[in-house]
Amino acid sequence: MFDLLAQTVLNACYSASYISLVAVGLVLIFGVMGIVNFAHGELFMVGAYVVVALYSNYDIPYVLVAAIGLVFVGCIGLLMERTMFRPLRDNPLGGLVASIGFLMILQALASITFGVRMAFVPPVTQDVIEFTDKIRLPLQRLYVILAAVGFLTALWLFLTRTRFGWALRASAQDPEAAALQGISITQTAKIAMFIGAALAGVAGVLTAPLISVNPHMGHSVIIAAFIVVIVGGVGSLEGAVVASIAYAFVHTFVTTFFDGVIADITGLLLMLLVLIVKPTGLFGTADRA
Amino acid sequence: MLLEMKGAAVNYGRVTAIRDISISVSDGSVVTIIGGNGAGKTTTLRAMSGLVRLSAGEIHFNGERIDDLPADRIVAKGMAHVPEGRRIFPDLTVEENLRTGAFLRRDKAAVNADLDKVFSRFPRLKERRVQSARTMSGGEQQMLAIGRALMSDPKILLMDEPSMGLAPVIVEEIALIIEELSTQGMTVVLVEQNAELALELADYAYVLETGNMALEGPAKELHDNEHVRAAYLGI
Repeated sequence: MFDLLAQTVLNACYSASYISLVAVGLVLIFGVMGIVNFAHGELFMVGAYVVVALYSNYDIPYVLVAAIGLVFVGCIGLLMERTMFRPLRDNPLGGLVASIGFLMILQALASITFGVRMAFVPPVTQDVIEFTDKIRLPLQRLYVILAAVGFLTALWLFLTRTRFGWALRASAQDPEAAALQGISITQTAKIAMFIGAALAGVAGVLTAPLISVNPHMGHSVIIAAFIVVIVGGVGSLEGAVVASIAYAFVHTFVTTFFDGVIADITGLLLMLLVLIVKPTGLFGTADRA
Repeated sequence: MLLEMKGAAVNYGRVTAIRDISISVSDGSVVTIIGGNGAGKTTTLRAMSGLVRLSAGEIHFNGERIDDLPADRIVAKGMAHVPEGRRIFPDLTVEENLRTGAFLRRDKAAVNADLDKVFSRFPRLKERRVQSARTMSGGEQQMLAIGRALMSDPKILLMDEPSMGLAPVIVEEIALIIEELSTQGMTVVLVEQNAELALELADYAYVLETGNMALEGPAKELHDNEHVRAAYLGI
């Protein structure tokens, strides 16, 4: 029993890692731009396909592929900001609808380019850390966990220690007052979009060798990320991280001891429960929700 | 003239908020705009700092036309705006709020020196520098909003209702700060519903009524004006 519990904890840490990378980007974009980016799961998907395109077919080192994926998906974020969210700045609902359209474009492009079947991704490493013969952590999963901790720490330092970080938080709290400090809304929107998209992309790059890569893989991730964002409190980055961990643990444990469908239902029920007890989410405050 | 608004008009949709407003602010002076609720005082200030666009007229600042610039570019020219309702960043600490005011400045040493100046002007902000701004009282938040504006090292300070919602003791304190800033050479445009206070602080005053310029003149003269006394000073 102890073995199973310990193994499930390791699995939960792994899911918490990539879900939090996706969710934090979603929160950042919503916070700064006021837009719910429905295409966020598809940015995760594009990250995974960067691995398919470069790592499965060419002999490019995985670390380089990861860096390319991060920058490439970040640039898609910049493209979305320029072409959709900037012209629709005063129209958050329009931004949401445009992001749904963009989601479909990305899915269609992935289907046309790579086909709708699951894509092959060769393992980056076959190594497994064996704590005991029943408690095992594949090295690739450890990479995901370490990368998530690394990227989230870097983001935290950026937001709390640098002037652009303060600018981003200021603009998320009060865009007009931020403009009065000389902070350009366009500039903060670009930064938020790049970082948010890049984090989703890198999550896709990191998990590609571990999950089934197909054009519709964004769905399950975006649902998890939305639950996490709502439970954590819309607009709260720390809430998103804490809720990612909580959600991943509940989901992984219920999947292990019952099954996956019950786990999905449990996740949604927990979200409802949090909304009933604390409508602003665990870390949300009324003025941001 | 440091700041000059000529024939300015602002519309919100079909509603005209201000029309044909001309205001001149000379370097080092304190100019006040008084008037009742909805007279267009806040709109006038927001037009100056680029938060709303003019539908007619021009604004010149420091010899340059600024009415087509976005707000963040106007800050760079040396205009700081302390907005109505203070609008501090609630989840940033006091120090982060102040440093955000210096967002455009790259000279770290000068920014740190100005931070010290703000802290010596407002010792209570120093005590609370690592506290998140939402935990502060209204008076402290007003001081933070003024401090944040000063951190941009402005040539002119626009203040929108700095006395609003504050206890009389605190209002007195804010008035002293404005006086002190003025003696140190700061140019101030003060929008106030508290006409008594505004006319006491200002050199020159404008009276807005339902979006039109009703009266203007040296603050002392307006203070003795029959209409102003009856309508705004309750005498």
